[in-house]
Order: sequence, then C-alpha cells, then structure tokens
Amino acid sequence: MAANGKPPVMVILQLTGGNDFMNTLVPYNNPVYYDARPTVVIPQDTVLPINDTLAFNPNAAPLKEMFDDGKVAIVQGIGYQNSSRSHFRGMDIWHTCEPDKIGTEGWVGRAIRDLDPKKENVLTGVNFGRGLPRAMALAGTPITSVGDLDNVGLMTGIEEEARRNLALDLFKKMYSPAVGTGPVMEYLAQTGSDVLTGADILKKAPESYTSEVEYADNPIAKSLKDVARVHLAGLGTRIFYTAHAGYDHHANELKTHPGLLRDLSGAIMDFFQDLRDHDAADEVSMLVFTEFGRRMRDNGSGTDHGSGGGAFIIGENVKGGLYAEYPSLNPSDWLKGEDLDWKIDFRGIYGTMLDQWMGLDSVPIVDGQFEQIHPFN
Amino acid sequence: MVRPHGLLRAGFPFLKTLGMRRITNFPADVAFGAEGRIYILLRTEVDAEIRVWHFDDAESLTDQLIGIGGLGKDDGKMTWPVQIIADADENLFVSDEALHRITSFNMDGEFVANWGEQGSEDGQLNGPSGIAFDADGNVLVVDTLNHRVQKFTSAGKFISKWGSFGSEPGQFNMPWGIHVDELGDVYVVDWRNDRIQKFNSDGEFVFEIGTSGNGDGQFNRPTGVAVDADGDIYVADCGNNRVQMFNEHGRYLQKFLGDATLSRVARNYMLTNAFPNRLRDMANLEQEKLLRSPKSVRVDAEGRMYVPDYRSYRVQVYQKEAIHLTEQQLAPPLRAPTLQTV
Amino acid sequence: MADNDLALMAHLLRRAGFGAARSELEEYAAKGYEAVVEELLNPEDSPPVEEDIIDRYYGGEAPTIWVGKWFYRMIGTKRPLVEKMALFWHHVLATGINKTEHLPSSGGQIELFQRIGMSDVRTVLLEVSKDPAMIYWLDNHENRKGEPNENYGRELLELFSMGVGNYTEDDIKNAARAFTGWTITQPIPLYPQGHFKSEFQFSQGDHDEGEKTFLGHTGNLNGDDIVDIVVKQPATANFLARHMYNFFVADEPQVPAWSVEPPQDQETIDTIVKAYMETDGDIVAMLRAMFNSDSFKNAQFKKVKNPTELVAGVLKLVGTYRFPEPGVVAFGAATTLMGQTLLNPPTVEGWHTGKEWIDGGTLNERINFAVNEIGDAGKPGIQDIINRLGAHGGSVSPEEFTDKALDLVGPLPVDDKTHAALMEYAESVGSLDFSSDEAREEATPRVIHMLQMIAATREFQFA
Repeated sequence: MAANGKPPVMVILQLTGGNDFMNTLVPYNNPVYYDARPTVVIPQDTVLPINDTLAFNPNAAPLKEMFDDGKVAIVQGIGYQNSSRSHFRGMDIWHTCEPDKIGTEGWVGRAIRDLDPKKENVLTGVNFGRGLPRAMALAGTPITSVGDLDNVGLMTGIEEEARRNLALDLFKKMYSPAVGTGPVMEYLAQTGSDVLTGADILKKAPESYTSEVEYADNPIAKSLKDVARVHLAGLGTRIFYTAHAGYDHHANELKTHPGLLRDLSGAIMDFFQDLRDHDAADEVSMLVFTEFGRRMRDNGSGTDHGSGGGAFIIGENVKGGLYAEYPSLNPSDWLKGEDLDWKIDFRGIYGTMLDQWMGLDSVPIVDGQFEQIHPFN
Repeated sequence: MVRPHGLLRAGFPFLKTLGMRRITNFPADVAFGAEGRIYILLRTEVDAEIRVWHFDDAESLTDQLIGIGGLGKDDGKMTWPVQIIADADENLFVSDEALHRITSFNMDGEFVANWGEQGSEDGQLNGPSGIAFDADGNVLVVDTLNHRVQKFTSAGKFISKWGSFGSEPGQFNMPWGIHVDELGDVYVVDWRNDRIQKFNSDGEFVFEIGTSGNGDGQFNRPTGVAVDADGDIYVADCGNNRVQMFNEHGRYLQKFLGDATLSRVARNYMLTNAFPNRLRDMANLEQEKLLRSPKSVRVDAEGRMYVPDYRSYRVQVYQKEAIHLTEQQLAPPLRAPTLQTV
Repeated sequence: MADNDLALMAHLLRRAGFGAARSELEEYAAKGYEAVVEELLNPEDSPPVEEDIIDRYYGGEAPTIWVGKWFYRMIGTKRPLVEKMALFWHHVLATGINKTEHLPSSGGQIELFQRIGMSDVRTVLLEVSKDPAMIYWLDNHENRKGEPNENYGRELLELFSMGVGNYTEDDIKNAARAFTGWTITQPIPLYPQGHFKSEFQFSQGDHDEGEKTFLGHTGNLNGDDIVDIVVKQPATANFLARHMYNFFVADEPQVPAWSVEPPQDQETIDTIVKAYMETDGDIVAMLRAMFNSDSFKNAQFKKVKNPTELVAGVLKLVGTYRFPEPGVVAFGAATTLMGQTLLNPPTVEGWHTGKEWIDGGTLNERINFAVNEIGDAGKPGIQDIINRLGAHGGSVSPEEFTDKALDLVGPLPVDDKTHAALMEYAESVGSLDFSSDEAREEATPRVIHMLQMIAATREFQFA
C-alpha cells in the first residue's frame, strides 16, 4: 500500500506488437544469444549490464537508471501455456485472461467494476488513446477514453451557452438508461451518460496542471503526460491504461526498436519524476507488458512472433530486482525448437498487481489462482 | 519591340535543378526579380507560401529559409494560391482560387493588399487562377469558374472582360494560365478544352493551338503558358508530364520531358544521409529526372525556361540557345517541303 | 412514393454507399430498389469521379491529403459502391502506412481496390499478394528460400481467406515457401525529390522450387497455386461471405471469435456463399445476392456506422464538397479521433467494428463532428432542409417540426425517449414561422439546433 495513505493507483502500459524481450534485457554473456541472433543483435560492448548475465539495451538507459535506484521489478519469462503467435489472439488472451476460449470481458474492466461497484465515478478507469482496449471492455462498467485531454466535452461546437446547456440537458434525457432496447442501444445510452459526466470533470485537469518536467514530443510521452495530468487533478482514477505501438519487428528491427525503447524509457522516467515533484508518486505503480516475445533466431532482418516475453513493474513502492526466471537459452529447452520458454503465467502477474497493490481479490478477475511474485515493499 | 526575322535554333540544353523536398514543396509557379531572385510559389492542402530563392542557388539561403505568406485566410495568408507575378519593383501578386482574391506583397514579404470578391458580376471573381501584367501595368486575371478573362488596374479596379463558357473560339472551359507577350497579345490556357488560345490586346481571338491527346501538339489538361522575346510559345502540358514548345505561329517545335539532376541543396543533404544513399544504389533512377505534373512554365529575360516540377519538389531550368537571323541569313518561305536539303 | 420505399433506399445507399442528400435519395427511389442495386453493381454505366478536377485543386502527397481526396470521392461519386468496396477490402486486407511509410504503395493499394474490388476473389487475392504495401506490411520481401518468413502465408489463411481452424501450421509453412521470392522493387527514396513507386518483383533466386504440400495438393507450388487452391475452398467462401455480411448487413462478433462463434444469420451467409460457389467467387454476384436478400432489407439501423461512414454521411447531409473546397484534410483527422485512421488500420486484422467503434472518447468525437458540421446555415444541405421544412410558407407545429426534421435527416426512426427529448426542444421554441424572410431567418437557427440534437441521438450512430 502507498506510504502516503492515498488509494493505490495502477498504470498499465501495453507495448503493442510483441516486444523483443531478449533485445530489451540482453543475455549479454551467453554465446547462444549471439549464435541465434547473427543480425538482430545488441553488441556486447554497448549493453548496460545489471549483473554478470543480463544487461539493458543501451537505448533503455533511463529504465536502467530507475532499476539502479531500485524502482524497477523485471518479470522474466512471462507467458502462458500454448502461447498464441497471433497478435490478435495473443492480445485477446492477455486482455481477457481466456487462453482457451474467446472472451469478451476485459480483466481491467472487471477490476474497475470491483473498485467501483456502484459506478460512482466514471473516471475510475481511464484510457488514453484511440478506441478502448478489450482489456477494459466490460458491459455496464463505465470507462472513460480520452483521445485528446486538451479538448474534451460534448457539443463544444454550440457556442451560445444557454443553447448548449439546453442541448446537454436533452442529451442527458436521450441517453438515460435504455433498458430492453438491446445490448448495443443500452451500451450507447450508458456510454453517452458517462461521457457527459466524465467530460465535465476531465476538462478541469489541464487547467490545474503545472510542471517542471518537459516531456518529449512522441506519442508515449504525450500519453503518460495525460495520465499525470489526470492523476494530479485528483479525480479518483484508480486504473490508467495506455499503449505504445510499433513493436512488431519482423523486419528492420535494428532501425526501429531502439527509437521505441528510447521514447518509452524516457517517458516513464519523466512521468515518475513529474509525479514525485508533485508528491504524488507513492501511490502509483506501473505495469508494462507485451503480448509475446520474439523467436529465438532472427530472420536476417527482424524477429518473428515467439512466446516467452518480459514485463516490468515500476514505482516508488517497488522492490527493484529480477523476478521469476530468465528462460533457459539452451537450444534443447526451446519451445517448439524455436522459442524461449515461459516461466510464470501472466495471470499471476496481474494477480500480483491486483491482490498486493490494488487490494482486490484477483481470483474472479483473472479467473483462477496463479503463482505470484512479491515485488512490493 | 521587334522580333527577329528568323532564328538559328542551336539547342535548348538543361541548365540546372533548383530546390528539394522541404525547401520547395510542390512548386506551382515562379516569378523573377532582380539579381537572380526567384519567387517560388508553393501550394498543397497543408501549405501555401512563397519561397524566396536565388538562381545561383546560394548556400546562405538554405540556412535561413525565407518564406512569404503562409496557409490561412487572413490578410497576408493564402489558401489555394495558383500563380505569382512580380512587377518592376518586385511587388508580388498572387491569385488565390479559394479566397477569390489577388493578394500582394512587397519584396520584403510584407502584405500590401487584397482585392477581389466572389461572384459573377463584372469585377467579381470565381476561382481566379492565371494572372499577368499587360504593357500598361494592368493585371489580367483568368476568372476560371466564370470562364472568362478580366482586366483590372493593379489596385483591382475593373476595366474589361471577355470570354464565356464553351468550346468555340473565344470561349473557355475552366481556363488556367495566362501570358501577355511584349507585343501585347494575350495567351490563355483553356484547361478543360485542352488548348491554348491567342487573343489580341482587345481580347479578339487570333488563333488556337492543340487538341486533346498525348501526341505532339496535343494536350492533356495544360496549365501554364509563356512566350519568350522571339515569340516562341511554351505550354506546361501537365497531364502529359511535359512542356511543349511552339513557334510564334503555333507550329509545334519540341517537347521537354525533364532532365533533372540533384540540385546543390539536394547533393549536400544526401552527403549526410547514408541510408537513402544506399537505397538510391538499389533503385532504378531512370524515372527520377522526368517532370511530374508541371503546373506552370515561365521564361526570364535571359532565355531561360523554368518549369515548376510540382510533384518532384523542384524547379527544372533550361537554357535556350538561338541566334537571330537576318533576312540575308534566312531564305524566303517555301511553298512545299523539299528533299533537296543542301 | 411510399415512405418505406424512401427509407429502404436510404438504407441501401447508407450501406452500398455513404448516404445520400435528400434530392439524390428521391431520384434513386424513383428508379426502384432492384434497378438501383443493378446500377450500383454496374458502376461503369455511371460517370466516374472527375480525376482532372481532383488533380487540379487538391495538391500535395501527405497521407492526410490522400485520405481527404478519398473522402471527396466518397461524397461526390456516382459509383458509390466502388468506394465502399475499396473500404471493405481495406477492412479485410488491412495494411498500415505506419509501417510502409510509403504513400504511393499504401494509397496505391486502395486504388487497386477501387479498380478490382468488384472483380472476383481470385483476382483480389492474387493482386494483393503482389501488392507492394501488402508485401512489405507482412514482410514477404524478407521471405526467401531457406529462411522463410511466415507472416504473409499465415495471415493469407487466417484473416484473408479461410479463417482459423481450416488449415494446419504445416499448411502455413508451405504457403510461406510458395510465396518466397515475391518481393518489391526498391523505390527511389523520399528525399530529395518526393516519393517514387515501388512495384512487385519476382525474385527467382529467392524462390523455393522444392516440393510443397498445401491443403492436400503436392508439387512445386508457387503463390499463384496457393491462391488458386485457397479460392476453391468452401471455407474461403464462408469466411468472405461472413466478412461481407459483417460489413454490409449487421454487426458480427470480432473476427478472432469467428472460429468458435457461429454467425447470427447463417442463412443469409449461405446465400452469399452459394453465389460465390456458382460463379467461382464473382464479387458482384455475391453482392447482388446479399443486397436482394430480405435480411439485408430488414437490417435497417442494425449496424453501428464506422467512422468513415459517419463522416462521409454527415458531409452528404450538409451538401458540401460536391466541388473541391479547401479543408478535406480535416476528415481523416476526424475519423482518427473516432478510432479509424484510413490507410492505417491498427493491425492486420483491420478495425474492430460494431459496438467497439463506440466508447466514451469516440462517441464524443462522433457527436461533436456532426454538431459542428451542421452548425452552418450557409451549407447547401442545411439550406435544402430549411427550404423543405418551410416549403408551405406557413407555420410548422412542434410535432411536425420534430417529425419532419427526423424524416429529412434519414428518414431516421427514433424511440420514444429520443422523440420526447426532441419534442421538448421543439416545444421550447414554439411553432416555426416561414411566412416571411424575417420569420424564416428567425427559424433558421432553431432548425439547425434541432438537426444538431438529432445528430447527437443514439439512433444517429447507426447505419
């Protein structure tokens, strides 16, 4: 629990496309790595070692710095049985915790429902980005999705205030609960009412925000800045969700992956600095995940879809270090003769966040009991 | 002004390429000032400005890019600029077919005035495109969507007009470029009729050049026209990605398909860009030199022809080489072609 | 003409096109439903979009400009189904410019769909297998003999033709081998002189000539053979028919669920499949079977509009951009905020559709876009609605006002609650008076306000 007595907050950051965990946390003294990656390789003399076997990618220097400060828990070998190599199926599984059938309910949606069972605050869960991730989809649970925090509100095009107020009043009536009109209509009505409520509150967040931190000009920095602005406005949000896209490096990985890691790790560093400056970091922990790791061997230019990946848990209350186990690089241990194995089920990591940080009961949310780690102070 | 009795056409070599992406994005037209200054009009859906450049392609201009105008509707802004002309003092006049007005700047790039309003009455404009000065300093404006040419004072006072919608001589279908030669005759690009029409200074029809097609002397949506001091006529044949050249009587002479090289700025840029250099090494470069959608053609006093190579972010410049012939140096006209050629 | 004819025609044009202005709607309705279906299915009988006009007025080559021009086409075309089918294939054969970063290829792929989107499935799958944007998007340019890259082979089967469960991992591997050497030419780089084209190239030396077994066929198969085998599979007919149903008739669950969840209306899908099987995958035949089915006709407002339909539909309603005007770049930006960036679907699966278009953020954007567009009395479509409302020159009661406005916007059926709210507005301003120019001027903002309220209803979100 947060030392400052404030309710715990979780930021979920999705790396879309399947981050190459082996090139993020490099087994830099293992000859198998260099054999498997003749092309898509991080040279040994450039890495940022954290011990005798593992090192950060040089482009993740800010993350390494936070790790050295003891704020980063690295979850090694995260995955699940019969990992899907399809992005879509893979992401669905991560979002719904349903590896064996098609789920429609998102685990984050369920967590938000449990955090706010009476639906008292439409901002309990806030997504930054375009469209709502399936992880947050849960019929009847209001989630606020923000494309651009600097321009929220309904019918802002009606300039005359009295007119707009009348329009919003009628809007409220038109979007009041529409029981019995079918699931989509009911969903629309609920969404519309939530928008009305959420927008009124949200548009105040940018007004009250000041900061010394200058975020970089890239999508993930913008998203995390928005998270900071809403968190600092004290609107009661308990779960923030955002995504960083572009990790599907089938080709040209050495040209694109470094920039993503730089943007990502820099943005995370700035985000926590911003929160600390405002004395609002203690109550926040961040989970960074991706849908799968990449194939052991590179394909001459990139890496194809694999299974075992890695995740990070970051925050002031985190006990930094390595958790679970780096999968064996020994070729005889490779899954399907091609992939890094997995060592800990992702649902156990969700459970860790839900039980140990958020104070919820993870069993109904992730649909079962899974091995957890203990990364919090 | 007297035109030469005849010409020994010695060649029309490619001279140089000006500009590159980021510096001269989508050049639609050029105008000339003193000391080699060139005003390059840039137009896309997301930009509208005049880039001040120099024929010598000076290094100093690269470092401090000078731009006049900018996208917008306010005074000093442009939305859909089409053509640019400069008067003797280097005041710049730009037609704007979205805002239905002519905007002028002084040579320092300061906004001077707008004139014009949307409509179809005398003096009103609907989508103005081509503009040209006549010998008296009046401005001829191609009033595209009213299918006519109107004459104004340089302050925008209506003087006269001619033309109507149609395809007969003297009629227009969405005309575009215009040029007034040193004798006062007027050439108008009749865009959607795929032809050029020549008028005298009173707007009376003289002749027309061209039909629809891609053969020699045919056009596919021509955009601009220019006439040099010898009376030779240049037409930017946009849809055929070329410039065609005609003599003063409208006889087809030759075409220019494009011979671009890398400009000085482009060479400097590439020297620090290893990755695209490798790609150039892997690519077939043959198509690179060709014109892509030239939106205008202009000639300067030195016999140089400038083609704003719209989709290739550059201006291609050619140098005319022609020697004036006296009556003694050019035999009288023949009644028919002959095989006795010596 | 009967009101239900008009409503049915409006439905057809929303689905097979991007909606219609009222006067267009009346012209179409006068021709009769089946005649209009045939007109839409035979686009070559209607004049094309005037490309010279587009080229003259819209310059530049950014993706936003390209998309803006596409919106201009959607709004003005007399061949709306051509554009709608291009959008359909863009949903199914989804490639993203965030990866290609090459507009001639990404835009060129949509232009390919505009050309062949109504041909036959074999042509579409073969051409898309040779399409530079697709080759690069799914890494087939890296697919070489001895080091196959499975990405295209997998997605061709999983998402473009048969769907999960109808092939094995070995089929994927063999399909990938068959497509080895299907690569692209290197385009001249963007700097310093703009984009140049890339083209399909068969690289003999990279092609695997070995024996491959794919869905029971064994031999030295190449990509053409794979497409030939795939298009003969009933699974392909079924999968693409379901795609068509999902796009044109009613919202289905998202594609990854299709291998486990049966369609809501197998009968209509079977009708489309039958047309496929009888014609070897003729797309026009499939569309004809679908548009003439009762379940299509009865599916009015059963789909959530995708953002492109919403934006183009609003523009049809307000009547702008029937001739070039500045500002088309705004439309791609608008759909992006609604969750759909044309030329850039989030994944190879395309966009999640139906209910998933709607969340707090996107609903807000959808409503605000429509409200803003409608808020200008000078727009021809708004003028037309005002003229029609005041056609009799007299007074219009609140009830007439409400019902007539709903009719002119759709016709759009609304539930009691919506109707009551709109009526409340109408009553708050009293009867509209069109008896004089002054009165009309006073009525104008009230009409606009009513239209804005209608655009903000739940019902307006459906196609």
